[in-house]
Amino acid sequence: MSRIPSLRIGGLSRRDFLKICTIATATMGLPVEMVEKVAAAVKSSERPPVIWLHFMECTGCTESLLRSSHPPLARLILELISLEYHETLMAGAGAQAEEALKAALKKYEGRYICVVEGGISTKDGGIYCQIGGRTALEIMREVGEKAGAVIAIGTCASFGGVQAAAPNPTGAVGVSQVIHRPVINIPGCPPNPYNFLSTVLYILTFGHPPELDELSRPKFAYGRRIHDHCERRPHFDEGRFVESFGDPAHQKGYCLYKVGCKGPVTYSNCSVVRFCDVGAWPVGSGHPCMGCTEPNFWDRMSPFYEHLPKIYIPAGGGIRAEAEKVGKVAVGAAAAVVAAHAAAGVIKKAVKSVSGQKSSEE
Amino acid sequence: MTKKGKEILYRRVFVWSWALRVFHWSFALSCAVLLLTGIYIHYPPITTKWAEFKPQYLMATLRYYHFAAAYVFMAAVAVRLYLLFFGNRYERFTDFLPINRRNLRSLWQSLKFYLYLTDDHEWRMGHTVLAGTIYFLLFLAAIVMSLTGLYMLYPDVSWISKMGVALFGSVQMARFIHYILHWCFIFFVIVHLYIAIWNDFKAPEAIISGAFSGSKFMPADVKED
Repeated sequence: MSRIPSLRIGGLSRRDFLKICTIATATMGLPVEMVEKVAAAVKSSERPPVIWLHFMECTGCTESLLRSSHPPLARLILELISLEYHETLMAGAGAQAEEALKAALKKYEGRYICVVEGGISTKDGGIYCQIGGRTALEIMREVGEKAGAVIAIGTCASFGGVQAAAPNPTGAVGVSQVIHRPVINIPGCPPNPYNFLSTVLYILTFGHPPELDELSRPKFAYGRRIHDHCERRPHFDEGRFVESFGDPAHQKGYCLYKVGCKGPVTYSNCSVVRFCDVGAWPVGSGHPCMGCTEPNFWDRMSPFYEHLPKIYIPAGGGIRAEAEKVGKVAVGAAAAVVAAHAAAGVIKKAVKSVSGQKSSEE
Repeated sequence: MTKKGKEILYRRVFVWSWALRVFHWSFALSCAVLLLTGIYIHYPPITTKWAEFKPQYLMATLRYYHFAAAYVFMAAVAVRLYLLFFGNRYERFTDFLPINRRNLRSLWQSLKFYLYLTDDHEWRMGHTVLAGTIYFLLFLAAIVMSLTGLYMLYPDVSWISKMGVALFGSVQMARFIHYILHWCFIFFVIVHLYIAIWNDFKAPEAIISGAFSGSKFMPADVKED
């Protein structure tokens, strides 16, 4: 608890400040000369008001952003923006909190940045997620329409996340599905705080959002494949793979492709920026990538320790079969049918020649 | 059909243009390379563990062959697409898709012939409609294979990523479809080889050598419809 107040105060050393600006500038893919410009933008610009909404989520995105073991980054983010409403961090609660939101909406209409964390329930009028008696859908539409910019942080806000996984009982969707305006998606479960910081810094420095990809993700962070920047890639190219966790190949740091690594189909800068300021990231720690920055990753990337999703077969009460097995059975059946067909031809010919002999005898 | 002791005159007819034959064999060879390397890429058995000190580049090499063959494959698909509309009369889609009365009759006839319900071989210059329909479905699968493959290989290229997100949603879905469809090709290879050999036994059309020479043999008294 004693650390929390220290997050609120500024007091970031110049060294830490420039360090973070440099990392953020590098994350944006900008040259080192731009660090000064970014730092100047941070210092001179008016702190943009931010309304931070929490919907159906685990608060993991906020947690990873604040991670109090390495406070300077969180401190900079909190210094950089003027947080008007954030349910996890704000002191007020209940009616007080709702008042703060209302006041901020009025005061900063059209200027504030709306950051959304969490998916939004749309089924049955969105009754499955309500805050202060209002549905998430209602709040999102109101706050989203009046915002200057909307940033969806995390996979839930970007693409629906875990609650949108099949069968999606609450009809959860991402922010871009419920408001009619461009949304910057920063997916990840959780996303790297530097990707969020860099996006905000980019907007502050240049006055417009960064270039986005087809899924509205900033290209500087999500433009490249994890697989192409992976430290285990040489093992992949060599054909050296981990067969199971803890085996000698795993101990030697071979490629995790065969234990379900989704690096080849996942776009993010994890392998370059890494996490927690200590150079750690899942593949570096011996765990396959789960593809958390991609749409519907809970459905499409699972089983997490297998290569491909299973095939859903509606018969027999919903069997989930392995794609490989289904293919092998189908091809086996084809081979069997071919063999049976050939056998039938031979038998028919034999029968015919026997009956032909009979008829000629008669 | 020939019967013992009875002589039938055959005439040689030219059916398949050189373009179609080039398509056929480049498609067949690229499919063979793509299937073999693709199966390794999907599930690589550990083969180089014992020689860590010596570079093998096995996966990288097989991927390289896979991509090289993929270009041959896509070129072949492009040639076939052209021939569907501008080839000779046997190569156009109007000749072998079940879209008119004549072709539907042929479809029914081949089904009966293949199920041993009749011994009357249908003398047709081009594809039978049953075969043609299956070829067309495989052609569509080949287009999907090309698109999913391109999306996996070049997701950074603007038009490819637009196409990929619009059609498949994510690279993982493209990879899944790419994998599922590869079974169709294995399935096709088994059935196609079997049917070709079976037909060679049943009717002296010389369809196997026809895939090289472009000519088939028809009884002299059979007229084209």
